[in-house]
Amino acid sequence: MNRLLLAASILLSAMPLAHADEAAVRAAIKKMAPTATIDKVEKSPIDGYSQAIVGSQLVYVSNDGRYILQGTLYDVDAKLDLSASRMSRENVAKLAAYPEAQRIVFAPSGKPKYKVTVFTDIDCGYCRKMHSHIAEYNERGIQVDYLFFPRSGPGTPSFDKAISVWCAKDRNGAFTSAKAGQDPSPLKCENPIAQEYQLGITVGVDGTPAVYAPDGSRIGGYLTPDQLQASLERIAASANSGG
Amino acid sequence: MRMLLALVFVVLPALGHAATPEETARKAVAALAPQAEVDAVQVSAVPGFLEALVGTQVIYVSVDGRYIVDGNVFDASVGRNITEAAQAHQRAVALRRIGAEKRIIFAPPAPKYAVTVFTDIDCPFCRRFHDQMARYNELGIAVEYVFLPLDIHPGADRKAEAVWCAKDRRQAFTAAMSGADTGTASCANPVAETSRTARAMGITGTPTAVAADGTRLSPQIAMSPDLLVAELARIAQNPVPARQ
Repeated sequence: MNRLLLAASILLSAMPLAHADEAAVRAAIKKMAPTATIDKVEKSPIDGYSQAIVGSQLVYVSNDGRYILQGTLYDVDAKLDLSASRMSRENVAKLAAYPEAQRIVFAPSGKPKYKVTVFTDIDCGYCRKMHSHIAEYNERGIQVDYLFFPRSGPGTPSFDKAISVWCAKDRNGAFTSAKAGQDPSPLKCENPIAQEYQLGITVGVDGTPAVYAPDGSRIGGYLTPDQLQASLERIAASANSGG
Repeated sequence: MRMLLALVFVVLPALGHAATPEETARKAVAALAPQAEVDAVQVSAVPGFLEALVGTQVIYVSVDGRYIVDGNVFDASVGRNITEAAQAHQRAVALRRIGAEKRIIFAPPAPKYAVTVFTDIDCPFCRRFHDQMARYNELGIAVEYVFLPLDIHPGADRKAEAVWCAKDRRQAFTAAMSGADTGTASCANPVAETSRTARAMGITGTPTAVAADGTRLSPQIAMSPDLLVAELARIAQNPVPARQ
């Protein structure tokens, strides 16, 4: 009998989340943020707390549903931002699901060593500065996949420029000239700009350029070729070491 | 044999020095933010956590010291941001250290509300705020000025001192706020002390208005006498609860 109880308790502790807890956690979030969409509720690293993914945010909720911690969770010994790493895992799937045919891709001539996804806005100074280094990124084996995130939103001149670039015959050429300050000739066609903008919001883009590494982590901001290469090497090294 | 093992188990934890909550929290904060100065540690109302106070900022450390949460905690049962409440409480405590004798007070005959305003003679918005003093007073608000001359206004600390050392402080203050030369009077004054207290409270801009319960009032509200009186009335109804 004792054995059985022990086995049962071990099983229980390994289970993702008791049903009652999840209901309490969802109710707490709904109470504080009635319009929030809760994507997932799961066990958190902290004893007695669950974590919930709410759009691009991660919140920690006591299993009784009383306390909601909104902020960044750090692992002290590992000096690691656990909130960001959890959201990276969430983002990597969302970004990977976005088809290459809908991206504006600047690839190196040989086989790329790294691929980054960059959310960009034609009317953003640092996005333009970033694109001015595109040949150098490529020379270092970095493929840059652009998605549009016109910060001013749908129905604005920046959004229309993105559509015009997308609809141009030579997309990459039109993109590069627009980044050099030349307004694209106005064009309209079926386009994925609204979808890209929405994806940006979902993965937490709050400014441009927003650079995402293959592991789904956001590594910038504007990055010089040196900085981008260094970040990507660091991430690849820690992935290989299993860290 | 069994007995011996049991004994060892009992004795071991007693041998190892168990860290106090204070030590646990300080060690964790120091590991992640070596430059942060922890002023105090207390057990949090949030289960499983300690609170480290850095200035008036609250940082949550798990009781085992493994995790830190930097952010806000909401108590869903009462719908309140308890981090902001704790920080307001700390600000209220700090405010009480600035006694009336360190302030320049513009009060109506029978004030309904009092608000502390950190001010700088060379700050344009502070001057605009002071231009409306008659209206604040008319609405029953006592404005209690505390000097916080900002580094971006070289010489503003000297002007604050000169005003402080004038025979009629209020008159000298009003004159200085309309651009009059303050002169260079010098005497013992609380300007450096109040500036330090403000910085410890996380206040780095002027004018910053703080209610008696420690709630920081947004500039949009503070700059409007009508909005300010409404907000002070709301806070008086529902103040940040004082803690132990």
